[in-house]
Amino acid sequence: MPVLSLTLFLPLIGALLLLALPRRSAGAAHAVGIGTAGLTLLGALAIWARGAGAGFSQVEEVAWVPSLGAAFRLGVDGISLPLVLLASALFLAVLLFSTEVRERPRSYVALFLFLETSCLGVFLSLDLLLFYVFFELTLVGMYFIISGWGHEDRQRAAVMFFLYTLIGSLPLLLAILALHLHTAPRTFDMRALVAAPPLSGGAALATFLAMLFTFSVKTPLFPLHSWLPAAHVQAPAPGSTILAGVLLKLGGYGFIRFALQMTPDAFRAAAPWVAGLAVFSALYGAMVALAQTDLKRLVAYTSVNHMGYLVLAVSAAAATADRAARTIAVDGATLQMVSHGIVTGVLFLLVGALQDRTRTREMGELGGLVSRIPRLAWCFILAAFASLGLPGLAHFPAEFQMFLGAFRVWPWAAAAAVVGLVLTAALYLRAIRSVFFGEPSGQSAGMRDLGSREAFAIIPLLVLIVAIGVAPRILLDTIHAAAAAILP
Amino acid sequence: MAHDLALVWPEILVLFTATGSLVLEMIRRPRWSCAFTVAGLAVATAVAAGRMEARAAVFSGTLRVDVLLVWARVVLAPATALCSLLAHARAAGGEREATLHALLSYGLLGALLLAGAGDVMFLVLGLLLTSLASFALVAHAADDRGTEAALKYFIFGSVSGAILAFAVTFWFGATGSTLLSGLGRLGGHPWAAALGLAGVLAGLGYKAAVVPFHFWAPDAYDGAPVAVAAYLSVVPKTGAIFALAQVLGQLPADGVAWRPAVALLAAISMSWGNLAALRQESLPRLLAYSSIAQAGYFLVGATALGRSAMAVPALIVFAAAYAAMNIGAFAVVAGTGIDRTALAGVGRKAPLTGVAMVCFLLSLVGVPPLAGFAGKLLLFGAAIDARFGWLAVVAILNSVLSLAVYLRIIVPMYARPGLGEAPVRQSPVVAVAGVALAATLFLGVAARLFFGDGPTVARMDAGPRNGAGPAKARYLVNFPIGSSSGW
Repeated sequence: MPVLSLTLFLPLIGALLLLALPRRSAGAAHAVGIGTAGLTLLGALAIWARGAGAGFSQVEEVAWVPSLGAAFRLGVDGISLPLVLLASALFLAVLLFSTEVRERPRSYVALFLFLETSCLGVFLSLDLLLFYVFFELTLVGMYFIISGWGHEDRQRAAVMFFLYTLIGSLPLLLAILALHLHTAPRTFDMRALVAAPPLSGGAALATFLAMLFTFSVKTPLFPLHSWLPAAHVQAPAPGSTILAGVLLKLGGYGFIRFALQMTPDAFRAAAPWVAGLAVFSALYGAMVALAQTDLKRLVAYTSVNHMGYLVLAVSAAAATADRAARTIAVDGATLQMVSHGIVTGVLFLLVGALQDRTRTREMGELGGLVSRIPRLAWCFILAAFASLGLPGLAHFPAEFQMFLGAFRVWPWAAAAAVVGLVLTAALYLRAIRSVFFGEPSGQSAGMRDLGSREAFAIIPLLVLIVAIGVAPRILLDTIHAAAAAILP
Repeated sequence: MAHDLALVWPEILVLFTATGSLVLEMIRRPRWSCAFTVAGLAVATAVAAGRMEARAAVFSGTLRVDVLLVWARVVLAPATALCSLLAHARAAGGEREATLHALLSYGLLGALLLAGAGDVMFLVLGLLLTSLASFALVAHAADDRGTEAALKYFIFGSVSGAILAFAVTFWFGATGSTLLSGLGRLGGHPWAAALGLAGVLAGLGYKAAVVPFHFWAPDAYDGAPVAVAAYLSVVPKTGAIFALAQVLGQLPADGVAWRPAVALLAAISMSWGNLAALRQESLPRLLAYSSIAQAGYFLVGATALGRSAMAVPALIVFAAAYAAMNIGAFAVVAGTGIDRTALAGVGRKAPLTGVAMVCFLLSLVGVPPLAGFAGKLLLFGAAIDARFGWLAVVAILNSVLSLAVYLRIIVPMYARPGLGEAPVRQSPVVAVAGVALAATLFLGVAARLFFGDGPTVARMDAGPRNGAGPAKARYLVNFPIGSSSGW
């Protein structure tokens, strides 16, 4: 029973089904979308139930071009499985949230389903070419979502997003080709490349730098992060959720799977520099977020901050020969990807809900909303506390492990990164105070509180945030086996 | 002799198709000419597809039936048939319609002669045949713009053809033979080799619209009917590139340093074509500059010839993908209008047309899993394998630049509310666009068709060929490097 292939293509089938619907039927379109996303989540849970751990399991393979060693090859391990779960959960939440979209609903839902297949494909693929195909397809889907349903400056933001991330992803193509050409016999199989990294010396360093470029644009890492604010702010709230919650993880996953596992020696040599960049990026993101007045931009910049910690942890894992430190760092990094995805995803959904009501994102114009819309306010406060790393909520176990792993390798870098936590706390407290507390403005009278549509999307994610915070074992058991075996 | 003729049956069938179309014109039945041409080319393709394993040098070695020619037949003949259908949509009922189809077929014949050239005379002959057919095609509409464009093309092409003919005399003088397989004897004559190469690059580069021999292309594509522009962008260009591959595959490694020259032409063509396309408002002109850039990509593959086993597959796969996506893009333009603003709002008014155009343009950028990606993947792989990594980097930067070019078309398609009326639906245009779309979507996924099947991994190494290999490995994979018998 090819569960992986079914889970992967279910959203695409749903998207094609939508073409059969009449153009105006918004309800039917959303129903198809939610049903498909729900089935996909069930598929992801089935994959989880079948088990994954160290090494790639549940492999499904169909030869594509045997002469080149390219095949349609899917599989999971402990690192990619949590990301698959994250993606399917977030897409379901987003499609539940979007049921009020009335403008070209068919295309909207179809694009999100297409995007879901692309994202799942990136995490599930075990073939370099297949990975790249899905990696690029996410750009196409996101471009059309931003340009079709975004906010006031959407065309410019969408074009910039597409061009910037395409420049970012093309060096990965060259890196893939370089990796492929050095395997003997020539193959695109990721398992072969992870088991026996083929490159060495200058070629390895050049390939690593190409991959570093690509994944730094995607993650994003200073200074290649400048596409992020515009894309996030102009995208519709569900689009921002997917962008921050899933698409940024493609970069983090790439750092682990490609840079760490396929060019380990080059990464080890360059690790101090990458770690320095990561720490700077984390602090930079936090400081710029502290200076924002637009709430959505603020949340967008905190992504730069959180992903900076992730790259620091992965660099520490690359640099050290201490297995225990490496395992803990990769544990933390993977858990961070899941936590950040859920937490920032929820934050963007809440900002979207807020924007629907207030028509503005400027924090200065809002105020005192905790008395007007208490349920939404407290959801936001919970998510914000999760984002700043409050113990008991999702980010804490992840950040604890990442800093512990980094501390064993570069104590000063870890110490500097922890300063970012203080900055993040400051910026969220400031945002909460100016938006939710204080004197309510006149225009917020009669504002509707969190409705059932939004609650169905947001509350389960909040429950997950608390669950991961209190009992991270539910995910860490899966992750740990793979993290321990990450490098031979 | 009979054996040689049997091997060139597809070319003979193309010749019959062309002549038959002229006969139809003479007996005053031009309305059958489109169907006759399409049928004749379909038969030629079928015959060619049944003979993909043929490898021989016929007619005393002057025509080489090898991997390049067999694939050129299978790619270019259907491409010409599609252009024929496109032309029928506009020229139907006109007086000289059959001449149009005849010229398309004659041009195809010239391109096939170029693709299989084994002798410098065939280079000249093929070039002349396609050029003369192309000049007349551009002028077919008999309006002022077409005539002016055709005259510019004619003057440019005549001079370039003369340069080619003159340059190959140096090679004849140095090697004593007009056969391309005799080029191995050029080793001791650096000046003759270099002069000859410069002329060949000029002559074939003009046909392929490579910078700096590209000046005719924007005017010709703009002045010609859209179907003719589609044809010009695919058939003569592919023929010229394959001819260049035939020539470069035979040049001795120590004779003349042609790789850096070809690499430089590739880099300049790609960059110039994309940069110039950024400013165009007329779609055929924009696509002309885009095809100049695509010629640059072809040359990236040509640079790797002889050093990488991926070079020839790259050229062939990219040629097939390019034919599909370019003809598709021109078909959409034929349906909607030649000004960039004619496409405004098409994405909303005619969604299928919009999706098709987006697929063609993204395939031209090289977004997976479309056909253009498969071609570009192999081209970049060949470049890296041949230790021309810098060229691969230039190529990917140009891919991003080309995205900016095509987004200029895509963004108005979806952004503005619909102006004007919905595009006119003519069934030949829709059929052509549909076939092209299917090819664009599936050539990437069906890439294995180009490679044959079986345990052929060892063959992809750029090492000396060891034995013929099992009969299973049919299509692309047997191309020895450094062997005097060529491919």
